[in-house]
Amino acid sequence: MISSRFARPVLVAAATLLAVATFGQDFANIPASEPSITDWMFDPVTPIAHGVRNNALFILAITVPYLILPQVLLFYCIWKFRKRPGAKPATFHDNVQLEVLWTIVPALSLVVLAIPSYKLIKFIETMPEPDVRIEVTGRQFYWEYRYPDHGNIRISDEPLVVPVRKNIVADMTSADVTHAWWVPAFGIKMDTVPGRYTQVWFNVEREGWFKGQCAELCGALHSKMLIDVHVVSQEEFDAWIEMKKREFAGE
Amino acid sequence: MSILLDKPKEPEGGKSLPRFPEQPIKPYRRPNPIYNVLGSTDHKVLGLLYLALSLFMGIVGGALAGGIRAQLASHNLEVLSPELYNQFLTMHGSIMIFFVIIPALAGFGNYLVPLMIGARDMAFPRMNAFSFWILIPSAVLMFASFGVQGGAASAGWTAYPPLSLKEFSGGPGVDMWILGVHLAGVSSITGAINFIVTIMNMRAPGMNLMKMPLFCWTWLVNAWLILIGTPVLAGAVTMVLLDRGFGTNFFKPAMGGDPVLYQHLFWFYSHPAVYIMVLPGFGMISHVLAAFAHKRIFGYTGMVWAVGAIGVLGFIVWGHHMFTAGISAELRLYFSFATMVIAVPTGVKIWSWLATIWGGTLEFTTPMKFALGFISLFVIGGISGVYLANVPFDMQVHDSYFVVAHFHYVLVGGSIMSIFAGTYFWFPKMAGRKLDERMGNAVFWLFLIGMNATFLPMHLVGLQGMARRIWQYRPEYAAVNSFISLGYLLMVAAGALFVYSVIEALRRPRDCDEDPWKINDVQKSLVWTTPSPPPAYNFARIPTIGS
Repeated sequence: MISSRFARPVLVAAATLLAVATFGQDFANIPASEPSITDWMFDPVTPIAHGVRNNALFILAITVPYLILPQVLLFYCIWKFRKRPGAKPATFHDNVQLEVLWTIVPALSLVVLAIPSYKLIKFIETMPEPDVRIEVTGRQFYWEYRYPDHGNIRISDEPLVVPVRKNIVADMTSADVTHAWWVPAFGIKMDTVPGRYTQVWFNVEREGWFKGQCAELCGALHSKMLIDVHVVSQEEFDAWIEMKKREFAGE
Repeated sequence: MSILLDKPKEPEGGKSLPRFPEQPIKPYRRPNPIYNVLGSTDHKVLGLLYLALSLFMGIVGGALAGGIRAQLASHNLEVLSPELYNQFLTMHGSIMIFFVIIPALAGFGNYLVPLMIGARDMAFPRMNAFSFWILIPSAVLMFASFGVQGGAASAGWTAYPPLSLKEFSGGPGVDMWILGVHLAGVSSITGAINFIVTIMNMRAPGMNLMKMPLFCWTWLVNAWLILIGTPVLAGAVTMVLLDRGFGTNFFKPAMGGDPVLYQHLFWFYSHPAVYIMVLPGFGMISHVLAAFAHKRIFGYTGMVWAVGAIGVLGFIVWGHHMFTAGISAELRLYFSFATMVIAVPTGVKIWSWLATIWGGTLEFTTPMKFALGFISLFVIGGISGVYLANVPFDMQVHDSYFVVAHFHYVLVGGSIMSIFAGTYFWFPKMAGRKLDERMGNAVFWLFLIGMNATFLPMHLVGLQGMARRIWQYRPEYAAVNSFISLGYLLMVAAGALFVYSVIEALRRPRDCDEDPWKINDVQKSLVWTTPSPPPAYNFARIPTIGS
């Protein structure tokens, strides 16, 4: 038979394993100079990403009481009402006022919660006057970008290059199955659906490299459908466009 | 809803109205005991078969999860090929939904509903047997597809076209998956009809609907969800089947078809399916909490209305799975609002459970521990659901590990915890012996810690931008994912110990009386007035329910 002492060594061993696995990882293979994909919460780089971050914090502020209060009450009950010799259980089983209260108050909180997100949806959905238009096409298993206003140049399976502090409007579609274009630092995720066009916009605040990844299961190499966006100054962008045009003409 | 067992009144003017016999009806027993199991139409035998199937498939689905966690233990492993990885994640989802959670709840429903309402069996015992046995070819069909050319279905359990169409999923795997879903759907639908008819027509005299135990209410609502939703899923996957093999163009964009239409149809079933997988769990949790607080369920009427509201609202929120699919902003506003509304009745249930244990004398038996753990975990899953209902935030974390964390808190922290609670609670009734409490304690703590170690960090990597269903990932996420993979091992340990404790209990002699937990003085449930296990046809005389 397994005694109650069985659980403790198992738990201790497991906790040790978890700790070793977590803190013993080799982080050296991540180049320090490269910005991490994980930074968007602390370092959003587009107006939409700022909005999403603030929205997330606002939801947190509203929902934390509902996250904490049931847990606190639960642990209070466990501590306070455990069976003691001679204790008699209470016999109440209804309280209409209380029930109305815990229906109405959360409902009102949800209304408060919804208003800023609705404003933000409108902001995300309203396309600004584009400075640069691009067309994004998802393909198994790479991304194809076209610049219709810049000689219709097309790049495949290489980083997207866009100018900093300009309104970029992207029309998206897919050539085969449904993909999703997601760059967390931009606060943008949009499916690319075959036979349809979807649209997003972004305006990146600073230059640099930003990472993303396909976010809709699209086949065996879904995980290898990475996104890299290189945000450069207008001059660098113009030079890059000229170079690409020459490359195109030379083909 | 106190239930008193009265002697039925003698008919006016004396004798000779036909009555049920005083003695239990002796069923015909075939000489070979195997036939008595395989050929049985007894709701209790079928309930146990459902639970056994669920346990077995739980081991299979858990093993598939093990393959996934091994592959993801670090960022650049090749434990599985990318093709096989996609097959594993597809089958893990499908098996856990169609062959673990839904059959487990159907098993409890089959076993307990007739006992709770004072009936001798389900309304259609043969159809009941059919509902169970059709699940076997369904499971075999799905699982056998691992052996065919091209392997099992690998388009995710959502099977979105065009990925699930012939052009991108060549072999017969997806076809077998679709036929498996059809058979599982037939099982669900016939089972649901059986539950509705049983509950509406076979309650003992005096048990009106508002005296019915809460578990029966959750199953009644659940059965309607299944009955309304499942045919739509069957239709959607049939259209995929026709597109694949018979030249139709429902979802082929090049021929004017629309892949987004499939998503609408699929989620019209598959969002209610979330409630199908958790509503009966709500019912079981209510019973366990009330039993071991030695109180009656708080706010019974409110609970019934909340279950009904969740059932109705569950059908009008499917679009929140499609916030990034390019549907219009107006639709997104509507679905966002409707989804948030569901938090209200769900909250009513959480508060009512807390009020149920408030002021009680809590006995920390294993089922009670699982029920209390359920509350804690389900609150987390519910709150992250409110996050996901917000369109801007959802568009950031949609199809990321944040979503994976959310639905595993609901389905593992909610459904599986409630199934554990129900198993430990009613096992003495079903088997005549209690499961070992000390091992139960270890199972609970291993599972609770393992569950949190596995799924809590998924919120983090999801927020950090890790997409779901990926075979390898950027090295930034490696540390957290190693931790998650080790958390999985704790859940495996809990599962193994649970299986061992079931075997250990079944090797002991039966020793339970009618009310082994000593709770029925307050609960007054018919279940705990029958012997453990109950005889064939349950009640020597159909009980009458007093006021």
